[in-house]
Amino acid sequence: MTPERIALTPVGEMRFGHHLCLTYDSEEERHAVLTAYVRDGLRAGHKVVYLADGESSEAVLDRLAGAAGRDGPELRAGAEAGHLVIRPIAEAFMASGRFDPDDTVALLGTEMEVALLQDYAGVRFAGEASFSVRGWPGTDRFAEFEQSCQRAFQAPGSRAMALCQYDRRWFGPEQLRILEACHDGRVRPDDLYADGVLTITPIFGPPGLRLTGAVDESTLPGLLDVLRAEATRAGHYCLDLSGLEFCDLEGLRALIGAGGQGAGLERQVILRGVPAFLELMMKIAGWDSAPGVYLEGAHR
Amino acid sequence: MNAFTGTGIPAAPADPARAATDRGGLTHQALLYRSDRDFAAAAVPFLRDGRLAGDVLVVIASAAARCLLREQLGAADAARIEFIDRAEWFRGPMQALASYHDRARGDWWPRGRLRLLAEPVWTGRTPLETCEWKRHEAVLNVVFAGTPTALMCAYDATALPGHVLFDAARTHPELVDGDGVRQSGSFTDPAAFYAECNGRPLPRPPDTAARRGFAGGELPGLRSFLMVEAARHGLARDRTLPFVLAANEVATHVIRHGGGEGVLWVWAEDGELVCDVDDPKGELEDRFLGYAPPRSDRSGDGAMWAVRRLCHIVEIRSGAGGSSIRLHQRLGDDG
Repeated sequence: MTPERIALTPVGEMRFGHHLCLTYDSEEERHAVLTAYVRDGLRAGHKVVYLADGESSEAVLDRLAGAAGRDGPELRAGAEAGHLVIRPIAEAFMASGRFDPDDTVALLGTEMEVALLQDYAGVRFAGEASFSVRGWPGTDRFAEFEQSCQRAFQAPGSRAMALCQYDRRWFGPEQLRILEACHDGRVRPDDLYADGVLTITPIFGPPGLRLTGAVDESTLPGLLDVLRAEATRAGHYCLDLSGLEFCDLEGLRALIGAGGQGAGLERQVILRGVPAFLELMMKIAGWDSAPGVYLEGAHR
Repeated sequence: MNAFTGTGIPAAPADPARAATDRGGLTHQALLYRSDRDFAAAAVPFLRDGRLAGDVLVVIASAAARCLLREQLGAADAARIEFIDRAEWFRGPMQALASYHDRARGDWWPRGRLRLLAEPVWTGRTPLETCEWKRHEAVLNVVFAGTPTALMCAYDATALPGHVLFDAARTHPELVDGDGVRQSGSFTDPAAFYAECNGRPLPRPPDTAARRGFAGGELPGLRSFLMVEAARHGLARDRTLPFVLAANEVATHVIRHGGGEGVLWVWAEDGELVCDVDDPKGELEDRFLGYAPPRSDRSGDGAMWAVRRLCHIVEIRSGAGGSSIRLHQRLGDDG
């Protein structure tokens, strides 16, 4: 599987007709996407239907609102008002006691029509695919279901989109490849900063940021804002610089200083994929031995 | 014997009692020799005294001088000395200064007082390079002031041009020759010597130079322009990004701390890629600007140090008509 061949859509750019998979390794990665998806939907006047696997709707709401940080109250208010509906997936998909791909796709269509009748602009589905590995009757046809969904969501005039959650720990690579191929590609977290010159994207394994483009006089304020916001996180922190084409001295100072911005705990900043030019600048500035900074030897 | 016979340099009376190598701080002497015997007569005691005092001994010299010293000192004394090839060390005045900083901090000073005999290279230098190497000697008095360092710089009085010897006496507080050590009567305050080096106005960029204005937010375009110009003039790839980094730092300085907008010129001349960054509104105080390494705790500090390190030679001019910084990068293969 070559990850490059799979389209990666930022969650903030999802539109009706999209049927994307959220393949995740960690809860942080999962919720960075999921909470933005739900929040964006509520703000756009969409109905959000969350199909949960083996968790009560209260527990799901607590989990989402907790992960959403300052957007948490907005999610709770959405659930209170009925704009965010959380249902057990087994109840929805296995009502007949057997998983039937065609019935289930039809059910999602009905859900969309109901939402439109209720004057929503459309509907956002968020489903947990983990139920499909429970071996319940009919779930061997799950890939077929995903394919049917793909056709249904892409139909002209579709006012629905879906985000299917795949916990990478529960699906084998080959199975995941087949399932991902039934979608429009993968969804990724929104960029924390993007202005055409510099793009900053969160990464989760290890936690940190990926910088692409150039850090200079015009993009430095954006970088400092992101670093300041991230400074609340404790512990080790990775800055993936492999996509950095340019960085001036003040930018380098900011990257190296990222370790010292935390309010309390001293933490280690791991610089990954440091380009040769930046290593030269660090050496020139005498910062290659700065405390709290570790250069991963990838590009030497 | 006075090596400056005929140069008209007044010499202060010799005062061996003040032989500065025994003092704690920096000593910076010019050894003016007329023969191998002269050279050995001064250099050998300098190094032997250092060995007795337990100093860290370094010789940066030509192969011939290194060979002569090994012979004269004998294997046991020579084994205590770190010999460095001068062609490697003296590639550019800023590279040499940075190497002094790195090695001295890294492993010379931690082991004790540094006693260093250097034989700078003066042949094959352009007039600008010669001027900057003279400035380098003046700057050493300032950047290593107070450090436990004894520097002796050897000058071949029979071969080097008069102006080199003349300025050696102005940039070294002490002179050493066959008669011993004496203070240099013509030693000049390094700041005054430095200002003198800045006295010559920069010639205007040629008509063929490519021009581009810049202001805040426009540096990505400026860098693309520089990359294209560097490629057009055949600047080696591994020297292009340093060149662009340097010009970008200067332009950033104009935007942040200078007049806010400037003009950049690029052209090729005498085997160099040259770039002028003009700030028509901002003045720049150049007092040894960029000759001290940056400190990570001081923002804005050290940009000019990096600029100097990234280029072959950097010239700074400033006055009521704004400031101009000229970056030189070599186009050839010779470092």
